[in-house]
Amino acid sequence: MSNFRKTIISNAEKQFLIKNLRESTRLDGRAFNTIRDLKIEFGKDWGCCNVSLGKTKVLAQVTCDLQEPKSNRPSEGTLNINLELNPMADPSFEAGRQSDLSAQLNRLLEKCLKDSKAIDLESLCIQMKKRVWSLRIDLNVLNHDGNILDCASIAALAALSHFRRPDVTSDGVEFKIHSIEERDPIPIVVYHYPVYITYAIFSGGDFLVVDPTLLEEGVAEAFLSIGLNSYDELCGLHLGGKAQLSTNVILEITNKATKHACGIINLIKKGVELDTKKKLSAKETGFHKGNLKETNDSLSKLSISLDHWTTTKTSKKKKKSLKLNTVEEINNDCRMECDDINQPNHEVIRDLGVQTTELVHKGTKGEWIIIDSDSEEGANPNSSQNDIIFVETSKVETIKVQGSDSEEENVIIVCESNQEKNVSKSPKKKKAT
Amino acid sequence: MTNSITVVDYFLPGEEITDIKSKERQTIIGPGLQRDKNKPNSLVVTQAGRLHFRAPNTYWIENRKTRYVPKRGDLVVGIITKKSGDVLKVDIGSAELANLSTLAFEGATKKMKPEVEIGDIVYAKLLNAYKDMEPELVCVDQYYKAGPLGVLTNDGFLINVNLKLVYFLLNVSNPLLGTLTKKFPYEIVIGLNGKVWMKANKAKDILTMCRVFEASENHSEKSISDTCRGQK
Repeated sequence: MSNFRKTIISNAEKQFLIKNLRESTRLDGRAFNTIRDLKIEFGKDWGCCNVSLGKTKVLAQVTCDLQEPKSNRPSEGTLNINLELNPMADPSFEAGRQSDLSAQLNRLLEKCLKDSKAIDLESLCIQMKKRVWSLRIDLNVLNHDGNILDCASIAALAALSHFRRPDVTSDGVEFKIHSIEERDPIPIVVYHYPVYITYAIFSGGDFLVVDPTLLEEGVAEAFLSIGLNSYDELCGLHLGGKAQLSTNVILEITNKATKHACGIINLIKKGVELDTKKKLSAKETGFHKGNLKETNDSLSKLSISLDHWTTTKTSKKKKKSLKLNTVEEINNDCRMECDDINQPNHEVIRDLGVQTTELVHKGTKGEWIIIDSDSEEGANPNSSQNDIIFVETSKVETIKVQGSDSEEENVIIVCESNQEKNVSKSPKKKKAT
Repeated sequence: MTNSITVVDYFLPGEEITDIKSKERQTIIGPGLQRDKNKPNSLVVTQAGRLHFRAPNTYWIENRKTRYVPKRGDLVVGIITKKSGDVLKVDIGSAELANLSTLAFEGATKKMKPEVEIGDIVYAKLLNAYKDMEPELVCVDQYYKAGPLGVLTNDGFLINVNLKLVYFLLNVSNPLLGTLTKKFPYEIVIGLNGKVWMKANKAKDILTMCRVFEASENHSEKSISDTCRGQK
């Protein structure tokens, strides 16, 4: 993702950005672990939605038509994701040609939505081997200000869960597709809601920043995209670029990302629910109904930012340092967290007697990462030669995607709950590619 | 002279302006407007934006565009993107990259080349700009002195703002930079192409400037002036 940018970033911008990260500030005033403002708007039609993540904007539209199913899956509908990068989004994108970036984004989205079986494709079947619904998600990037992947995955998911297909009845021989006026359209069955959370990695893993902007994306060395659903299950993990991350760091980030994912998914669900209610009660909906806000609030923003001293004071307090290289800090933090969580547990376990330590480990989910990290972190720079990262081997299935062009990337699918599913999936995927 | 500028209304390309208030039937038209040959007393709008009128007879369109069209003599800020022999390619935000000769620096000769790296920022003057040619930059004036032109240091920061704000900032009587001066010392280089380089002692000062420019991009000069006056 880092080499697509054609417009060069000046050395001054790079230096200033890194300098600010050292002081644990980001240029737009966010904390390291804060995502930009997310806005989801739904259009007039079913399955049409416009998602903006800060200044990044993606428009999604779901359409469906009847098709013959694939011969190897006669009872399943199909789902196609088509992301397009127009010059409208960024002048460096070319129209009509599929670039490496768009191929990568398409594949990642496919992995997140399709391969994690988020959509019930079998419910899209009308008659075995004859007719199935074929869904198509068109994603158009309207403006590019970094982190297209997250925005697109949110847009795709929101559009899918908002979409309704026309009802079909059959008398065994003939099918009849009912228009929306005739019969109420039927929503798509969504099993779980997976979204991507992307982190940009700076100076070899010293700084990890969620939801990078365009400038941050240009300066960052690597990107870690984590696909997560609301049940804290991994639906895709992708590390692009070059970075030396330890296993602990990845697990820690994943823990943090789950919070963002849950928040986003709630927002999607609420938005869909609200708009569906409006639509069903025959209220007029659509982008044109959205309230056009006047820019009065940004005038006050101007006066606030002109009022130099007060703003910087308050904003500095907000910014929480997230430096990963200073081991002591984290240790302190986490010990405190652990203490908070475990104190009741500790007492209970002591009463029981023997297995104190093991129980604590199980109870604290993610926090165990750091407690004995002195040795781990110390060893980290020594073992810094290899780029590939392995999470615990028992939990990991590495699948080489044959279609992808880039040599550097390594696809790791982590499956915590059901290993067998993934294993059975991998040979099929090879066939498909 | 600047006292009687009036903003008329928002216009889209193709619209006609018929009620021209010019005295003595002479009208000076600025960017975004064109004469309609068939209708003698009307103008055609070619760019979307707000129509401005200055008494007695000047009309022009102002909008928030960010795309820069090079013009001879403009002072611009650019990023060096390529080095090939004696010529540097500079990104000044126009459709094509501009050429900057390594000999066009003060004191530079064939043997003594200036120290410029890819990714450095230069403040330069447009020597010529034709629509069929790549624009050409120089970093010296006609007496081969650099003056303010040349390579800018890397401990500053660069942002892009829209061209309207650039014109506003370059107006000497604008209150925004003056208000900032009272808060902290800084250096600023404003290119006519919308790129602004700035440097201050502290990183947070630079960030304040970024935020001020970002916030003032969408406001009229009057409301910005009012806000600045409220600061004192």
